[in-house]
Amino acid sequence: MSPMHKIARTFQRPLHLLGDWAMGWFHHIGGLGLLTWQVLVYLLPWKWNFDGPETWRTMYRVGVKSFPIVVVTAVLVGAIMVIQSGLYIEQYGAHGLLGWGAGYAILRSVGPILIGLMFSGRVGANNTAELGTMKVTDQIDALRALSIDPVAYLVMPRFMAMIVMMFLLVVVGNATALIGGALTSQFLLDVNMVLFFQSVVTYVLLEDLMHGLMKSVAFGFAIAIISCYFGLQTSGGAVGVGRAVNASVVGSAIALFAIDYAITYAAL
Amino acid sequence: MIRVENISKRHEGRMVLKDVSMDIAEGANIGLIGPGGGGKSLILKIICGLVTPDSGNVFIDDIDVHSLGPTELADLRFRIGMLFQNYALFDFMNCADNIAFPLRQEGTHSEEEIAEAVHQALHDISLPDIGHLYPNELSGGMKKRVSFARAVIRRPPIVFYDDPTAGLDPVTSSKIFILLRKIQTELGVTSVTISHDIGGIKEICDRFVLLDQGKIIFEGDRDEIEASEIPIVKKFWHGFSDDELNV
Repeated sequence: MSPMHKIARTFQRPLHLLGDWAMGWFHHIGGLGLLTWQVLVYLLPWKWNFDGPETWRTMYRVGVKSFPIVVVTAVLVGAIMVIQSGLYIEQYGAHGLLGWGAGYAILRSVGPILIGLMFSGRVGANNTAELGTMKVTDQIDALRALSIDPVAYLVMPRFMAMIVMMFLLVVVGNATALIGGALTSQFLLDVNMVLFFQSVVTYVLLEDLMHGLMKSVAFGFAIAIISCYFGLQTSGGAVGVGRAVNASVVGSAIALFAIDYAITYAAL
Repeated sequence: MIRVENISKRHEGRMVLKDVSMDIAEGANIGLIGPGGGGKSLILKIICGLVTPDSGNVFIDDIDVHSLGPTELADLRFRIGMLFQNYALFDFMNCADNIAFPLRQEGTHSEEEIAEAVHQALHDISLPDIGHLYPNELSGGMKKRVSFARAVIRRPPIVFYDDPTAGLDPVTSSKIFILLRKIQTELGVTSVTISHDIGGIKEICDRFVLLDQGKIIFEGDRDEIEASEIPIVKKFWHGFSDDELNV
């Protein structure tokens, strides 16, 4: 065997694995792109095609039922932000900046991303499992065999509901986090909650609020597309559903941080 | 008339269908038999455009199925009914809504017409009182019958049955075959039935195709398959094996 053949054989296996890995990523990126395209086409006024009542039902399921968990998360986030800021506020006696410090962080980034992660874990995972189970039990093929486009019938209501409810949950979550922060400042740091809210209103800009809300819409979009995509791609029975849910949650988390970074960077 | 021309399909690294061709005349009732994993279900999915072949063509009334756009394909599928091997009932709908679903999606029927059609369908499958139940509340045989009702509620001229009696007891299997025969007699449908129940399939089909390892091994009518000397056909049709089992 020539030296060239030996070198080729040595690198054959790692190159094969690298190629497989790259193909897998390109497959998913292409699939996500195609699904996004199909969804955007259905949003065009002359293609507008999704089930209104089903969208309302999905909104209730993904939004209203997520409300308690979002409130609990938000109260704790507000409290944590105040406790963290409180160390420095006490040190410098800048009690009037406590509301600004906590509010700025909550509204711009921490609120949307933590609520996004909760949403992805609860709603996105559930969505993937539901669509994945439909896929492996031939229900998706049955829809297609009955001349129904699964994207119009199953993805569009979920897509609309997840974007709208993610936005509303972030609005509620932001408000609850600020209340949690104010209560913590009052009872733990002995900083008057009126002063806390004055600080929020005085120093936190409308732009900061809008920045976070814009992220919430982008997060809802990403979680909806990723969770639906991995659901519709499921194969291999119950094990496959588990794998799809795992991929969906991990993919959504990565997407959330990447989007957060991109929007924050773009707004500098 | 359905024409399958030189279909090949690779699935998960394995060549599942190898250059398969067959003609299904209008009104014919084809029994598709053969060992498991031979590509029988896949060929049905390819015929109705649910799966795209790697090569080859499928023509339904001279329309090339795999050259159609989504809208034309959806129109074509209005003419096809399909009973899936594992029921494929929508588990978020009750049985009545499952059966009504194809009619509702057509958008041309009033709710009264749909309710009447569902009532009749439930009566036809001898399950008149289960409309309010969800699929997870039904036995396997009941699910099969509901799935059958959904597949034929539009009265399609072409129906595919993917193993309609898989996992069912002999009595329920017999009921299913009676239903299939009834729909064939009443509507004169063109059908392809996949089944391992040779006793049942020989009663409802007039031609038989044996698919093994992705290739058509035999194609002929009942007399021809009875008289066939091809070993796998004999084994499969008469249900015996000369392989030794390590038990």
